[in-house]
Amino acid sequence: AMACRKVCQMVQRRLASSAAAERLSAAELRSWRSALFSKEQNRQRSLYPRIEKIEVAMQGPGLQGTRLVMNKGVSTPHSCAKHLTEWHVSSAALALVDGELWHLHRPLTRSCILRLLTFKDVDPQLVNQAFWRSCASLLGQVLDDAFKEEYSVELLNVLEVPVSAGAFCCDLVLDPRLDSWSPSEENLRSLTRDAQQLIHKDLPWEPLEVAPPVALEIFSHSRCKQEEVEEIAAHSPNGVVSLYRCGQHVMLSGGPLVARTGLCCQYEVTALHAVGEGQWGLQRRAQGLSLPVNLTVMRNSVLSNSRCHNLCFVLFSLKEFCFMQYVDQDCLLDQNCVSVSMC
Amino acid sequence: LRHILTIKTSTWWDEHLSEDNVSFMRKTVMEEYKQLTTDKLNPLKDEPWPRHEWEENSRRVGLVAVKLGMMPVWTKTGEKHVVTMLQVQDCHVIKYLSKDENDGRSAALIVGAKNVSPFYRSEESMDIFRNAGLPPKQKLTTFNVTNNAIIKPGTPLYAAHFRPGQVVDVTAKTIGKGFQGVMKRWGFSGQPASHGQTKTHRRPGALGPGGDPAKVFKGKKMPGKMGNIYNTAFGLKVWRVNTKYNVLYVNGSVPGHRNCLVKVRDTILPRLLKKNNDPPFPTFFAEGGEELPEDLYAEDMFQPGDSMTF
Repeated sequence: AMACRKVCQMVQRRLASSAAAERLSAAELRSWRSALFSKEQNRQRSLYPRIEKIEVAMQGPGLQGTRLVMNKGVSTPHSCAKHLTEWHVSSAALALVDGELWHLHRPLTRSCILRLLTFKDVDPQLVNQAFWRSCASLLGQVLDDAFKEEYSVELLNVLEVPVSAGAFCCDLVLDPRLDSWSPSEENLRSLTRDAQQLIHKDLPWEPLEVAPPVALEIFSHSRCKQEEVEEIAAHSPNGVVSLYRCGQHVMLSGGPLVARTGLCCQYEVTALHAVGEGQWGLQRRAQGLSLPVNLTVMRNSVLSNSRCHNLCFVLFSLKEFCFMQYVDQDCLLDQNCVSVSMC
Repeated sequence: LRHILTIKTSTWWDEHLSEDNVSFMRKTVMEEYKQLTTDKLNPLKDEPWPRHEWEENSRRVGLVAVKLGMMPVWTKTGEKHVVTMLQVQDCHVIKYLSKDENDGRSAALIVGAKNVSPFYRSEESMDIFRNAGLPPKQKLTTFNVTNNAIIKPGTPLYAAHFRPGQVVDVTAKTIGKGFQGVMKRWGFSGQPASHGQTKTHRRPGALGPGGDPAKVFKGKKMPGKMGNIYNTAFGLKVWRVNTKYNVLYVNGSVPGHRNCLVKVRDTILPRLLKKNNDPPFPTFFAEGGEELPEDLYAEDMFQPGDSMTF
């Protein structure tokens, strides 16, 4: 009777998998979402058939009084930076348009005052936070791609972890068959390698503001993501949901991300552990560390806590030297834990 | 009234299946279970490589270490020997070359040691490291390896790869002495200091036989640049292994200056091969779960605190 039940279950599973022909494989799902994203992007671009000019006033060290004439709905802060110098292009991570945080590749819609933010500003808080958020979404992208085709991976919303906590996190729910699996050192190493390859490709993060129905359609295969979309739409001031695309992967984000993946350097995936049973299954948290490209740290340096406020730091690929603190959802890490010293 | 027989609720699984279906189900059930169990161990797309057992005539990887210095060591019977300390710092397997890519004889593994800064390396050299997901290394060496000893690129190698009692060959670049004369370079005895020698005290003297060949043979030992070439010290016994700091204590002296990178591998001397039976194969994996004590000593080594027997 036991054998019979097992066989029946198996037969059912087979029938179920063959009947659900609309369930796509992971790669197909990714390309389908990316196609929808491109379609929406083209549609939004076609809203400006004639080129209208807007005036952008630049603010920043050495740029007093610079006024650029750009195209409405087409030019982005990135193109404004390209009019200046190559240093502006490579160091700009985020933009402030009329005091509002603006992604570097998001089109400008009106005449405004533009300020380009870099990692070496006097007050890099906003940029650091955006950098942390982008590293977390990169981690999510890597995890989405890393598992075999037969295992389902659900990325949950990215937690807003402050930079001083010492690590960025990404929550995910794996296939229930993997409940008893915990990653080995080698698995973490391969995740790190995938992330570093993504960084080397230097893909830009493309932003898109969409209405909730479009976002719901893009994520129509994942109930969990649809709920997130509804939540974000409810909280946002004008009801739009901001999506980002990196390569082929479309993701949601709670705030602006940095311009491109190449800005991260010395990226490490440090841990992946189970947090507890959540709404969708056993929730796992992946943690990582990364540094911006201009602010890397050499191996033979002793870092102290005081730099924690402005920089996030590193470990030069040897996890034995870093003690990762488990970031709980509502507790902030003790400031003393995050000093890393290397011999 | 006829008795109505109760419906038998228990059936067996192949009661209503045809014979073909029965054999199909039998096969596929076993395959699916096996696949599930293996997949559960590695659900990620790149799986760990299979680890094989040690056999006779299998060659495994070596390490790259840093020469720290030398110190004395005593045996239990009171004899004194000197050992060199070699520390394994950040040793990783970087690339795997199959037999065809390598030289057609055996597969090879490229191993690197000691992380250096990526900012002073060219983009092409960074390619190999990027594929392995490792920071660039100061020294890269190739080890010819049998097919059952290949390791996945990116695995770290530790000093516990060698155990006390094993015998090891160490290769390194010798200290460069510059342009040296024939006495220092080849050990010629030169000429006497006095008794009429005119301007001839450290010269080579005769260059060969004389009239018959009427030439100087190729390879004649003459003055030239000495040192700064790779040299191997064969048959060095490992006295002690420290697993906390990854230090190997290897008998005798080793070519190279202090803090130079040396290549350590199992001996190829035929008489000492049986000392290397059953080593950690293909290498010592730190996440294997076996806890080693901090210091591993060879059997005949005197440990402080032992009683002496005379």
